[in-house]
Amino acid sequence: MPASPLDALRGIVGPAHVLTGVDCGPYVVDGRTPEAVALPGSKDEVAAVLLAAAEAELPVTPWGGGTKMGIGNPPQRLGLVLALKRLNRLLEHEPGDLTATVEAGITLGALQRELGGRGQWISLDPAHADEATLGGILSSNAAGPRRHLYGSCRDLLIGVTVVTAAGALVKGGGKVVKNVAGYDLPKLFIGAFGTLGVVVEATVKLRPRPDADRLVVARFAQLKEAGAAARAVMGSDLLPSALDLVDGETLRALALGGPDGAALLIGVDGIPEQVAWQCAEVEHLLRPQGLADARVLDGDARDAAWRARGGLGRGAFAETAAVMKWVVLPAQVADVMEQGAAVAQRAGLIAALAAHAGVGVVEAVLAGARAGDATAIAGVLTEWRALVRAAGGQALVESAPLAVKERVPVWDDPGPALRIMQRIKSQFDPAGLLNPGRFVGGI
Amino acid sequence: MVVLDAARKQALRRELSALLGKGSVLSEPEELLVYESDGLVLFRALADFVVFPTSTEQVAAVVKLANRESLPFVARGAGTGLSGGCLPAEGGLVISLMRMNRVLEVDYDNQIAVVEPGLVNLHLSWAVGPKGFYFAPDPSSQQACTVGGNIANNSGGPHTLKYGVTVNHVLGLEVVLPDGEIMWLGGRTREAQGYDMAGLFVGSEGTFGIATKIVVRILKQPQAVKTVLAVFDSIEQASKAVSAVIARGLIPAAMEMIDQLTIGAVEDAFGCGYPRDAAAALLIELDGLREGMEAQAERVMAACRDCGARDVRAARDEAERQLLWKGRKSAFGAYGHISPAYMVMDGVIPRTRLPEVLRRVNEIVASYGLRVGNVFHAGDGNLHPNILYDPRVPGEEARVVAAGGEILKVCADVGGSISGEHGIGLEKVDYMSLIFSEADLDYMGRLRDAFNPRNLCNPGKIFPSRKACGESGPAYRPHPIEEKGLAQRF
Repeated sequence: MPASPLDALRGIVGPAHVLTGVDCGPYVVDGRTPEAVALPGSKDEVAAVLLAAAEAELPVTPWGGGTKMGIGNPPQRLGLVLALKRLNRLLEHEPGDLTATVEAGITLGALQRELGGRGQWISLDPAHADEATLGGILSSNAAGPRRHLYGSCRDLLIGVTVVTAAGALVKGGGKVVKNVAGYDLPKLFIGAFGTLGVVVEATVKLRPRPDADRLVVARFAQLKEAGAAARAVMGSDLLPSALDLVDGETLRALALGGPDGAALLIGVDGIPEQVAWQCAEVEHLLRPQGLADARVLDGDARDAAWRARGGLGRGAFAETAAVMKWVVLPAQVADVMEQGAAVAQRAGLIAALAAHAGVGVVEAVLAGARAGDATAIAGVLTEWRALVRAAGGQALVESAPLAVKERVPVWDDPGPALRIMQRIKSQFDPAGLLNPGRFVGGI
Repeated sequence: MVVLDAARKQALRRELSALLGKGSVLSEPEELLVYESDGLVLFRALADFVVFPTSTEQVAAVVKLANRESLPFVARGAGTGLSGGCLPAEGGLVISLMRMNRVLEVDYDNQIAVVEPGLVNLHLSWAVGPKGFYFAPDPSSQQACTVGGNIANNSGGPHTLKYGVTVNHVLGLEVVLPDGEIMWLGGRTREAQGYDMAGLFVGSEGTFGIATKIVVRILKQPQAVKTVLAVFDSIEQASKAVSAVIARGLIPAAMEMIDQLTIGAVEDAFGCGYPRDAAAALLIELDGLREGMEAQAERVMAACRDCGARDVRAARDEAERQLLWKGRKSAFGAYGHISPAYMVMDGVIPRTRLPEVLRRVNEIVASYGLRVGNVFHAGDGNLHPNILYDPRVPGEEARVVAAGGEILKVCADVGGSISGEHGIGLEKVDYMSLIFSEADLDYMGRLRDAFNPRNLCNPGKIFPSRKACGESGPAYRPHPIEEKGLAQRF
């Protein structure tokens, strides 16, 4: 990078907050090191940085905690990484309104601790809470098991402030829970991976912290039985906050048994009477479904199990070859998991598969002795995608070595709607400087 | 505005009839009159044609014809909207979707339904009710309004406090884009790769195209429901109770407030058992598991008592519960019994600001020499001040509009919004700058251009049109029903 844009960046954020050379090491994407990293300290600085980048025609990649940076086509050129970790404050929280406005770089863990002190929480529980930032969670549309009852980012984000490619601050939505004035810009930025603007502030809906919160681990001999049990729970009066279906390899990774069998991880929270009733009812309901045994976890054991579940992509195997996310209809989850495991086995690889069974999102982690074999891994991912598509779903490569990404497209084809997506992109980032080429359809 | 001469109009009418079949095209002035306004009778505009397609392909064919002729077009459901959102742009086409009203498919295993846009909201819950399911978004007009109209305005209702607005229940849409192309946005699964096109489309007030099939989530009916009526001697106390319930860690399914003037109107009209001398009543509904329901109801009632409720009681049975809800849901109709007309406002505020904002609302309306009834979604902070007036009194309507503007300004000043469920439509285009900057509006305008570059699809809505600057809107003429004092808005 020439000196003048660097000087401009240093002038905006201060010399200490511009990294170059080896200092950029922690910000590598798909093996590429950025030309520079800027760490602005305010939204106005973000705006000024984007303006300077636009003037220098420098591509910009926003960066929160980095936990989802494996997602996306490999960058053609990694220009400026815009790291948001200095924007880490809780700006407004009025407990009576059940809303909070935060800066994008606050980690989920830090936010939950602040809110928790006032008896509330944001009902999002994706993995790696102490690294993942709220801006990154929204931009990658990350969610965890409790989306089963409480919804995903789409249901919780009510207002957003972004900096556009041209360096303008733009606000969408608002600070109230019910608001239909103007287009729903918050929806546009969820899962957009920073390609339309950089999220700098967000206003979210909160919930009161439940009085009681337990995890029922319901084990079965067969994945098929556990899948049927998940559907039985969905069809019952039970109102679990989470309903995860995990296979034997996942159970082993969670230190809950395995590698045989399968289990449902059923979260129940609320007032104590409800939690106690649900724990008992789960057992009644699932006994005829082939329930082998049920354990109720609380406190640290519960937290550790959920943490391990969330960290499956990093923790299931000593060496993970690739992680894929499948989205299918809830009723098809167990079938695609079973078929997916067979595909991996035939290729001489091992898979750990875990699903949010009620919403139809499966995390598929691939490993094994042939984990260094890009061709074999690419073969499995390709077959996985085919079977997910055959079931009417879509598959996304969440992380894989560059050699695998060269063989398997990261994204599925979004279909004819891509035409409109491309038009939106060209309206908001005509020069194509925001995370260029990394998103669906080469956006 | 395109003015069609008689010969061209005749030719287009023949062409539309050929496309849609006999009895599917209206073009006589007296037929078109029915479609000149929605629930907000302050604005009227006449289309050249109202058409009734029965399939996606027919909608697409009409839209392509409109493009060829450069005629503006707008989709319309039941016409219960309250912001003039489905009015034609003086001339052009109204595309009524009332004949596309089927439930196409229900998938109970995956808890989704595929419906046509003209389906009446409540009819979806009726269709899936026998299997123990329902459709959660329930605007007060749900007996008449359509799912497509709910999509256009992202409308909510009493139960959005716990269950969210329409967009939270929409997974995918088949749409006819403004250029006539048919396309799916989103689908049946919970996520689709790329931008959240379905999420963006919902609430775009018909400016991004016309939804022709809609995939919605259906929910299991709750095991138990408990409805509590809390009666207060001051609005202040009732307002405080709203936050107090939340502060006790409870999220009721609904928390509705009804003030003294409205109670009087409801009791005159329907006799639902609300105490006439109360300053305000809160209708609070809990739903969910049977277990623990009593304990939660106790918590709610204790919170209300702590805030000074003079009487708190739970409905003893379903009949009493229905009666309490009838009072709430028919409040708008009841105003017709005490006033020749009224204008229903729609603003949102943080719920902790309720006491001061309600005081301000009452002061503003009184300063214009008018009366106001308040019945609204207190749990969401979604206000509906209903300003009563007589359209026969010269100047009174202008005062109503001015008071409404001041109320919206108060909502914006306390960090709220200018619409919670009715949309911007024509009504509030000039108020958008209260909450959005030039840059915000420019960004939204670009988004519209991405979908609707020719701006033939519901032009003139949501945003102040630069072209129209200086032009005044269509002149107001009181509707005959309104003149008789029977105007009923949902």
